[in-house]
Amino acid sequence: MAETLVRLRGLELNLHPPPRPFDFRAMAGETWMLVGAVGSGRRELIRTIAGLAVPRTGHIELFGQVVERMNPRARARLRGRIGVVLEHAGLVPAWSVFENLALLVRYHRLVPDGEIEGYVTAFVEACRLPPAILARQANELSPLESSWIGLLRALIIKPRLLLVSAYLPRETLVAGYGVWTFFEEMVVPMQMTILVDAGPQALPMGPKTDLLVMDQGTLLAAGRAVDLAGHPDALVRRFARFDHA
Amino acid sequence: MKTAARGGFWPVVESVGALVAGPLTRLREELDFLAIVLISAGLVTRGQWRFLFRHTLQQIYFTAVQRAYIFTVVGLIIGALVALPLIVFGIHDPLLLGRIMHIMMYHQLDPILASLFVAGMSGAAITAELGELKANQAIEHLVAMGLNPYGFFVLPRLIGVVLSLLVLTLWLNVGVTVGAGGMLSVYQNIPPTVFFRVCLSGLSHGSLALTGGMVVMQGIHIVLVQTQRAFRVNAYVDIPRALPSAFAQSFIGCLIITLLVSLLRYG
Repeated sequence: MAETLVRLRGLELNLHPPPRPFDFRAMAGETWMLVGAVGSGRRELIRTIAGLAVPRTGHIELFGQVVERMNPRARARLRGRIGVVLEHAGLVPAWSVFENLALLVRYHRLVPDGEIEGYVTAFVEACRLPPAILARQANELSPLESSWIGLLRALIIKPRLLLVSAYLPRETLVAGYGVWTFFEEMVVPMQMTILVDAGPQALPMGPKTDLLVMDQGTLLAAGRAVDLAGHPDALVRRFARFDHA
Repeated sequence: MKTAARGGFWPVVESVGALVAGPLTRLREELDFLAIVLISAGLVTRGQWRFLFRHTLQQIYFTAVQRAYIFTVVGLIIGALVALPLIVFGIHDPLLLGRIMHIMMYHQLDPILASLFVAGMSGAAITAELGELKANQAIEHLVAMGLNPYGFFVLPRLIGVVLSLLVLTLWLNVGVTVGAGGMLSVYQNIPPTVFFRVCLSGLSHGSLALTGGMVVMQGIHIVLVQTQRAFRVNAYVDIPRALPSAFAQSFIGCLIITLLVSLLRYG
């Protein structure tokens, strides 16, 4: 039986006006795409699960543990298993790409010090990026390059949960190597749970895509796009249309 | 009429209250922030101490080593400027000159000058750097992925700036003494060795500890104010606003610390 990685119980996001509380559960290896209108609370939900926003009420369970009951050290250890990608790339501009990618690997001691360089280089090569990019300073990167390095920084720690709240560019840094191919080749084999609010133009949506339809800060419906296509709520039906993506 | 008078009176009382409560609120916020930083030091794991050590050394390099030349030049010039009025007043007694150097320079002006430079150069750099990391969401990303922002960003800067400020104040004292000794030897024929000896003889453990404590408090205050302001940045446009206000607040705080310690020392 698959492990529950994310469980939200009676969660009320910190928005105005106060939204209705909702429950949600994501199992290991599932990919959930957040859909909804602008201001529907998708971004706030990702930030709340990431620990960057505090909910009004409710509980967040990650990896089977209630986050608010954990001590700060255990919480930091738990967060070390979560990859987060927000709107801005969030790189340290004065550092090289290598230093940016190696920071969390070093901080969480994922590999011994002597092996970090090899680990980072191998990861970048596996993502089909030229290793020369590692020597470049983060502030010299183009917006496209920055957003990719931001995504790679979240993936390099081999997270069990990936939270994406950013409009991912459709193309990678390699011509003809699209974001979905990248996800299929690199991310899916990692068998992580993914909650992504990346915009319909980035990731393709099909009948089997798991959707989390949000409106006014609350969860309207969650399920496969094909199932939600017959939902009684017109708004859910509208966002569950997979033929438009 | 009465209502109008009351309407004019209470806002004035409120403004005066805010004026009085403002600095106290800021002090409380600063102490809260210090407590968080100290608690976060306790959360640093064994492997992360190497990070802390490396970043502290970097901060010392940027604050003390890179600024040593400026502090030497400034110290020599200030020393020469301090000696000029003494020459004009015709003060020849080396003991009196040594005492003036202690009270005026070592205890008060040199620490103030050192903190002024550190707040203006390293402090502003800290606010700009961390403000940029806050504005581009780098801090949020790293926090969400398990990094302790206070242990990683604030603590090394706090330790580095405090140690650097101690060294730079000492270095400024040396520069000022050499500058003043040079001028006095040229214009008053006081041998530099005699002047240096009287300057050294006035040093006591108590006075050194008091001055050292004052400099430590100034260093802590500078870093807390600058990092606190940087953490409040929400967008890039906030950085140019945060820089001057953080500098002014940290420098005024250093002046108040010097005043309080001087009152304790001489009062």
